[in-house]
Amino acid sequence: MLFEKILTRYQDVPGYTGTIEAYIAHGGYQALPKVLGVRPPADVIEAVKRSGLRGRGGAGFPCGLKWSFIPKDSAEPTYLVVNGDESEPGTFKDRMLIEEEPHQILEGVILASYAIGCHQAFLYCRGEFVKGAQVLQRAIGEAYAKGYLGRNILGSGFDLEVVLHRGAGAYICGEETGLLESLEGKRGQPRPKPPFPAISGLYRCPTVVNNVETLSNIPHILLRGPEWYAGIGPAKSAGPRLFSVSGHVEKPGNYELPMSITLRQLIFEYAGGIRNGRRLKAVIPGGSSSPVLTEQHLDVTMDFDSLAAAGSMGGSGAVIVMDDTTCIVRVAEIVSRFYRHESCGQCTQCREGTAWLHKVLRRIEHGQGRKEDLDLLLDLCDNMKGKTICVFSDAAAMPIESYLKHFRDEFEQHVRERACPFGEWGGAF
Amino acid sequence: MPKVTIDGVEITTPGAMTILEAAKLAGIVIPHYCYHPGLSLVGQCRMCQVEAEKMPNLATACNTTVTEGMVVSTKSPKVEKARRAVLEFYLLNHPLDCPVCDRGGECPLQDYTLKYGPGESRSVEPKVQRAKHQVLGPHVIFDAERCILCTRCIRFCREVPQTGELGVFSRGDRSEISLFPGKILDNAYSGNVIDLCPVGALTSRQYRFQSRPWDLVRHTESVCPLCSAGCNVILDIRDRQGGDELLRIRPRENPEVNRWWMCDEGRFAIGALNDPARLRIFLAREGERQVELPLDDLLSRLAREIRHLVAAHGEGAVGCIVSARHTNEEFSLVRRFFLDILRTPHLDHRVRPAQWAEADASEDGILRRTDKTANSRGARDLGILPDRDGLDTTAMIAAAAAGRLKALFVFEEDLVGERGDLPVREALGRLELLVASSPVPTETTALAHAVLPALASAEKDGSFTNFQGRIQKVRRALPPIGACRSLPEILHGLAERLGWDLGDLEPERVWAAIGEQPGPYQGIGWKEWRAIGPQGALPAEIAGKAERAAAREPGSLGTKERMTNVQ
Repeated sequence: MLFEKILTRYQDVPGYTGTIEAYIAHGGYQALPKVLGVRPPADVIEAVKRSGLRGRGGAGFPCGLKWSFIPKDSAEPTYLVVNGDESEPGTFKDRMLIEEEPHQILEGVILASYAIGCHQAFLYCRGEFVKGAQVLQRAIGEAYAKGYLGRNILGSGFDLEVVLHRGAGAYICGEETGLLESLEGKRGQPRPKPPFPAISGLYRCPTVVNNVETLSNIPHILLRGPEWYAGIGPAKSAGPRLFSVSGHVEKPGNYELPMSITLRQLIFEYAGGIRNGRRLKAVIPGGSSSPVLTEQHLDVTMDFDSLAAAGSMGGSGAVIVMDDTTCIVRVAEIVSRFYRHESCGQCTQCREGTAWLHKVLRRIEHGQGRKEDLDLLLDLCDNMKGKTICVFSDAAAMPIESYLKHFRDEFEQHVRERACPFGEWGGAF
Repeated sequence: MPKVTIDGVEITTPGAMTILEAAKLAGIVIPHYCYHPGLSLVGQCRMCQVEAEKMPNLATACNTTVTEGMVVSTKSPKVEKARRAVLEFYLLNHPLDCPVCDRGGECPLQDYTLKYGPGESRSVEPKVQRAKHQVLGPHVIFDAERCILCTRCIRFCREVPQTGELGVFSRGDRSEISLFPGKILDNAYSGNVIDLCPVGALTSRQYRFQSRPWDLVRHTESVCPLCSAGCNVILDIRDRQGGDELLRIRPRENPEVNRWWMCDEGRFAIGALNDPARLRIFLAREGERQVELPLDDLLSRLAREIRHLVAAHGEGAVGCIVSARHTNEEFSLVRRFFLDILRTPHLDHRVRPAQWAEADASEDGILRRTDKTANSRGARDLGILPDRDGLDTTAMIAAAAAGRLKALFVFEEDLVGERGDLPVREALGRLELLVASSPVPTETTALAHAVLPALASAEKDGSFTNFQGRIQKVRRALPPIGACRSLPEILHGLAERLGWDLGDLEPERVWAAIGEQPGPYQGIGWKEWRAIGPQGALPAEIAGKAERAAAREPGSLGTKERMTNVQ
């Protein structure tokens, strides 16, 4: 299937550097003069709504709708915060956009800020992205020098300052209210909602938090029109999406595709199929938080709603492929270890539950599981889901439930044989 | 005015409030750990989850506002399972050292576990071990194993004294509460974290291992005597062989005075009561020495000398300085004795500048006041001041130095120690009769011809009027030590020997007499004590919080209730 690359079109430009000159030479910053001071902000929000763009961070919330929640007559300043804290295991698409096409993000930031009446935007960049932070800082400097940032941008009368902030290494700071706490200099832990950030966000002011990839779409939507954008992919999951394919495939990498693609096409046509011609065992379709799918789900299309109907979710677009050499119990142990490590610890169920899940799974993987552990795991997951301040606890529980649902026999085999049938360190990762 | 239904009970709330507060109105208590009415809401213990119709997930009662027509269940199967789960999670790594834990017996974790928790754990994993005896400051010890990370202590330090010594360090199941580098928990209110802790993680270094809660046989409601704020307290008394013992002082909720808090000075002032130096006998001067004399003999001797001095020098030769540590009832009798019986106009309670109404100020914007006596306001209201052309404290000292004042009664003030600005020692040395009362020997009692051991406020009944004009009851928690007699008893004995009757001494009847006379306390009965006069404003710090709490006052849960837990 041939698909016109949009967010990653620069990849087809030989020697492309991502500098402001290169970006402008290849059609960048063209949306600004057509929008700033020309189209009313409400009109911009309306266009983004009509485009059908949904958030690319994980939840898939309609972007234009999120913007429209910002109060129109607020006495307080409005903030735009860019979520560049990409940390969902398996996900590496924001990192690529940050390192390779930073001005596309900045153009999105300027347009989004204009739409929501923000004059101070923050770029929250994952702490581990050292190169990414350097690239972003350089890009911000270039944009200021060219007059795309600062006072009276392109003579439009619109002012925007942008500050880069580096995270300090916590997954939970990718959760939008955890990110805001961290940005305010506090311990990064999510806030109870409501109030939602649109009403009370950064410094308790109206705030929009958008993912890097989400914002990268904005210049294209405003330049080529929402109808064009809405025409890409399924009706309710419009636009291109970057799928980060990793694991046991021949050609891992980021693939920009419409969400009408099937999981089978993504793995076998684009990612080159399973390595060494082996058999697919399991695939995580939307980052480590999403429930696992198996061979029987290969024909699901990769849009938000179809994946949800298949019992999983689109999440962050990270597709982790596992072949038949993979021990699912080991996968569960590793995934649960991650969530144990990253739980912020404020809610009881999550703080204690993530650790307990991991301990039980580690025991099973190491041949010390008991028959009753499997139902215990399921009950723990039930006790963790939907009961905490943020959805981290759900994200930790849902995959474990799915492994047990689809591979219960493998867990039982571990218990029965008092050992991992794949060998102590066998399997994935 | 939303109308809501909680567990089938229909409640019309007086305004916007949370489910937890609305439930409280209906007498339904929703279990909770991190919520405290005096602290910010974090909603993180997840213990207060309830089921509200039309909401997909359980709602945390502490931070979900009720809406019109809301139907809430606090005991649906879903709620009960979630609650059981939270308790099971808490107990995963809890050391269960209840038998040696100070909190055992008054512990919400114990109580909720008994009421809502699982009978046994499904965990077979080894328990996480953490540092058990961490000294956080002069008053508080921390046991990280018992901690359930409700963060009440952290929020208290940030929000009330605003010193922020504590924080959560590390994350996930490695989270632990600790001091920030270079800090110790030594703010003036640090002891409150002990009350706030819903488990035995933060314990009092003073009370630690002193008692089990069920051995504390009395919880006397009284008022702290150490400044004019008049913080409401509970005195926990243990019944021991050889006499009752005060083991613990803790704040008693009063939204108008101290809310849920008290300062460390008042909380840990138990030592003064049990001070081995306390005077237990009556002393009389014999030449250079002070020797024990039975009260009867002492009173007879004093009566004789007073009669003699008044006959020789007139009524104006006698003066009295009575400290503002006395109760209103004591003041009333003191005034009657000196003004009506001895007929001297020289009467005062003021020794330190802060005792003047306009000088008594908030020390820290929180609770502590600059006037370190409990009842200056009561002294003013009841006329413990120079009568007509009488002398005040300074003038009495000057008159003594000049030889014009011959006899001086000093009740519970160390004039020598307190008024270093004046040649007090010389002045008192010239007196023909110095009668001094005090709980412990002082430089003033050392000069006295008669020394009377004084009672502590925990040993007497009566009332103090705090700086706001709030009349608050002081209740006897302990019997007087040694041979101590109350000031009214002593004055009564003296009056009797002078041929007068001081009248009733019982505080209740003294108060009735006060109420019958014109003055600020006229018409206020023993059972209906209330604030009088213009109310002093709460300090700004507390007032802000008071306002916020006032909005949800009816639903707030007090310290007492929390500590004795939810029935």
